Amino acid sequence: MIPAAPPPPQRRDLLRQWAGTPLTALVSAVSAALAIWAIWIVLDWAVLSASPPQRPMHACAETAGACWRFYVEKSRFMLFGTYPYQDHWRPGLASMLLLALSGVVGLRITGRLDRITPRVLVALWIATIPAAFLLMGGGWAGLDRVDMSRWNGLPVLLILSVIAIALAFPLGVTLAVLRHQDRWPVLRRAAVVYIETMRGVPMVTVLFVGVFVLPLTLPPGTRISPVMATLVALILFHASYFAEDVRGGLQSLPEAQTEAAKALGLTWSQTMGLVLLPQALSRSLPALVNSVIGAYKDTSLVVVLGIHDLTSTARMAFSEPGWGQYALEAYAFVGIWFLLSCAFLSWIGRELHKGQSARSH
Amino acid sequence: MQQSPPALPARRPDWLGAGIVGLALAGLALLGVNIILNMQATGVTPGYGFLAQTAGFDLSESLIPYSSGDSYARVIVAGLLNTVVLALASLLLATIIGVLMGLVSVTPSPAGRWVAILYVELFRNLPKILVLLVLYVITVRGLPPVRQALSWGPLHLSNRSLYLPAIEADPRQLWLLAPFLLSILAAWWWVRRARRIQRATGRETPVVLVAATLILAGQLGFAALAEVPLVVSVPTFVRFDFDGGARVSVQFLVVLVTLGLYHGAQIAEVVRGGILAVPTGQVEAARALGLAPWTVTRFVVLPQVLRIVIPPMINQYVNLIKNTSIAIAVGYSDLMSVSGTIINQTFRPLEMMLITMALYLGLCLGASSLMNRLNIGLRNRSARNVS
Repeated sequence: MIPAAPPPPQRRDLLRQWAGTPLTALVSAVSAALAIWAIWIVLDWAVLSASPPQRPMHACAETAGACWRFYVEKSRFMLFGTYPYQDHWRPGLASMLLLALSGVVGLRITGRLDRITPRVLVALWIATIPAAFLLMGGGWAGLDRVDMSRWNGLPVLLILSVIAIALAFPLGVTLAVLRHQDRWPVLRRAAVVYIETMRGVPMVTVLFVGVFVLPLTLPPGTRISPVMATLVALILFHASYFAEDVRGGLQSLPEAQTEAAKALGLTWSQTMGLVLLPQALSRSLPALVNSVIGAYKDTSLVVVLGIHDLTSTARMAFSEPGWGQYALEAYAFVGIWFLLSCAFLSWIGRELHKGQSARSH
Repeated sequence: MQQSPPALPARRPDWLGAGIVGLALAGLALLGVNIILNMQATGVTPGYGFLAQTAGFDLSESLIPYSSGDSYARVIVAGLLNTVVLALASLLLATIIGVLMGLVSVTPSPAGRWVAILYVELFRNLPKILVLLVLYVITVRGLPPVRQALSWGPLHLSNRSLYLPAIEADPRQLWLLAPFLLSILAAWWWVRRARRIQRATGRETPVVLVAATLILAGQLGFAALAEVPLVVSVPTFVRFDFDGGARVSVQFLVVLVTLGLYHGAQIAEVVRGGILAVPTGQVEAARALGLAPWTVTRFVVLPQVLRIVIPPMINQYVNLIKNTSIAIAVGYSDLMSVSGTIINQTFRPLEMMLITMALYLGLCLGASSLMNRLNIGLRNRSARNVS
């Protein structure tokens, strides 16, 4: 038997939702006006008064809206910057590798791709990070050497975000364990000082230390490229934030876990590695995902140091004389990239929340 | 017979930890030696003597009198003050935007909720530096030059500054401090009296209105009686530029709006979470007891929301203070961009970064400990009122 269809929503309910009280009516009216205005502005800029990509560049001078031809002319420059043009497949492949690996890790965290064990993931990371550097740098198997100062755009953004986050994670877990334990009080105190100092200063200051002070600390005669110096600074900075997330997970575990592990005769390192850390890590995943989103977005702060990540190459694309009026097109490119990649990361966060609340009920 | 428990094993000193930390410090010392060697190779001896030297560069704006002939130390102080002003202004703007959008996101109106969600998601998924650069490009390219500045009455906006009327500074205005302190005292006495009356009789006396009137009227009355000069200066266009009034640089405005929008989105989420965390049963019970809607909000919902919301808000405020350092990207003379300029001029990155980080650390720790203390005070007081 076919069940009776549910009654349609009452018109009065709809009216009450939109304008139940004068205040609600006001909010509805203002919000609707604001939304329509914003949609109109975006639509007008991107479509209605835009110049389509098949029209030549000089046709853009008369249009008030977006110049789609700009993307035909400048997309490759914004993605890879001044990297040698005929070798663009190398940064392209390196970026694909890093993106694919990040995607796999993200899916694995949400419980998909169960067949890939954490051990395999760690091995993949250990293989991919040097592979990305070798591919970009060249100097082997007939690939031309490309100096790090010519590494630009998307691959630099990914190296400074994905690789920095991947390398900061183990350091962060170590710091969290050191701050949580009470077996070695001196180490705990050192971890507290390190974490609180790093979290108490802006990221820009840490980047400045990386780019200006770190090269001075090397023995006279050795050099470190700004990208590598920034990478080191970012690893040291992000680790302190990850450490606090993981420590939150460790603190949320009941004391009975430690006692039970001790009663079973496990040593300290067995208790930590087999009982406490696995549970703490899975509990701190949502907080970690939030920190990763923040770290990924903040990577674009390297612009202020003259390191050419995606935001910076976009700026270069319209800084040449004659291109100045296409600033919004260039920044829209970067904005869409961040919106899409952050949407993936936020989706992971939501999936984790769903999984956790499902387990706790 | 009961036996006393065995004595706890004596704590052994942490030789391993001390050893590792000692090694790390030794490593740092080695790096320090390298720094000294590297600096001596370029003919510089490490030290803070350079702070007394002439800075020789100009600032976009400064709260204290400053010219390019002043010392580096004075530039740093001016930069720090600029950071503090920027932080306070953005904090206010972010709170207003955040609370407003947080409230809109829980209204029954679908349009309101939709706009609030769109706003929050947009700014949570974009880097703040990108927002800042976009706003900067729009203002610098979109606004007219000084000659054709946009005007709304006494306000004028060009692609360099916002010009607004201000009260002309006069040393005699310091006299106003006396009635200010007096009226604060009077307002404090009135608040205590109102609370005593309410505790004794349950009768409510107006508090906010009376206190505000006392403070305002005390100032203005004294100014009128003692003839303290309060001259309003209005910016007027003279030949090439505006003269008189106060001016705020576009750089400041752009960073202010960026931080306001960016942290406003985060604060909106905090407020939304706080409001949704109050169980609906509480509101229904209060309504069933016959309390008016406003009374329900004021005495049932608000105290609970505040309790939930304040700790994450403190966190947001500290993050905001740290994020003012993005101002360096558009050249507003805050602490970070001042120290960047000094590093480029003197090439003393170690000394300058130590000062800058210490100042930021002090600012953040000071702000967070102050706000935490206020929060604890508030909590104790409300607990006392309930019991």
